[in-house]
Amino acid sequence: MWKNKYVLLAFRLIVGGIFIWAGVSKIADPLSFAQNIRSYQLVGQTLSFLTAIFLPWVELIAGLWLIIGLYPKSSALLISCLLFFFIVLVAITMARGLNVDCGCFGTFSRQADWWLIAEDSLWLALSLVLLFSPANDFCLLKSKSSKA
Amino acid sequence: MGLKKILTDRQTWTGLVSIIGLSIILGLASHPGLIKRFLAGEFKQAFILKEDFPELVFISLPEAEEAWSRQEAVFIDSRSQEQFDRGHIPGAISVPLEDLKTGREDLLALIPEAPGIVIYCEGGSCQDSTDLARILEWRGFKNLKVFPGGWAEWQQSGLPVETNVEE
Repeated sequence: MWKNKYVLLAFRLIVGGIFIWAGVSKIADPLSFAQNIRSYQLVGQTLSFLTAIFLPWVELIAGLWLIIGLYPKSSALLISCLLFFFIVLVAITMARGLNVDCGCFGTFSRQADWWLIAEDSLWLALSLVLLFSPANDFCLLKSKSSKA
Repeated sequence: MGLKKILTDRQTWTGLVSIIGLSIILGLASHPGLIKRFLAGEFKQAFILKEDFPELVFISLPEAEEAWSRQEAVFIDSRSQEQFDRGHIPGAISVPLEDLKTGREDLLALIPEAPGIVIYCEGGSCQDSTDLARILEWRGFKNLKVFPGGWAEWQQSGLPVETNVEE
């Protein structure tokens, strides 16, 4: 199943689409996103600000490139790392007893809770399938380390 | 296909550097004004544009103490009810941000007419006081002050406290 090129394309559209949405929803209002990052109480004002300026663009470009198949392995690797980081971040936040908005999708934000961890884990699973799958059909730039 | 193969592939790294590099360029290009204002020292207290919230002022512990002792302002505690019950600034009114966000609009009616309003939360890097202040400004409240030091700073300085918990 994981080698079916249409299933893999669907995974790319789902994971890439989510990251494009996550990026676009935050680009317009970086201050709100910076405030969200700050509420996790892990990093200071400067790092919160810089993350809010650059991270939405990383999400948008990685999502877009995953869909069109430009450096798909790099995109899948980056997205997997980000999702892993988000899961750890939400888990730490919950363990600290903090009640925060996740800041995931701009104004469509929601609480950082178990459901968010479950969702992120699902996207991480799809992303890892894309990362380790040897197939790379429908890609603009095929990875040399993948089988053609 | 193994992780080692992916990580040793030069194309993987070219892609990663491209994504991050392009993000930095686009991030800088999309918000030059905000970056300039940040470098000039804005947003040290909170990520809000002063022009959007002209009523909002940030105050220090001595200023909060003065406003409290002279009864120049009503104090609003934006933390949860449980935290408020365990201890708060004497005379403060509990308006938990989390309750207000879930529709407890009646909490706003608890705020009396006063020459000023001082809002605080736990302190440190808590954001509830700023978030509540933004909501209050939208609702037309005037003379809003945020005390970022919050409960932690007040308590540590040995100033009077009040609890609702029976000993």
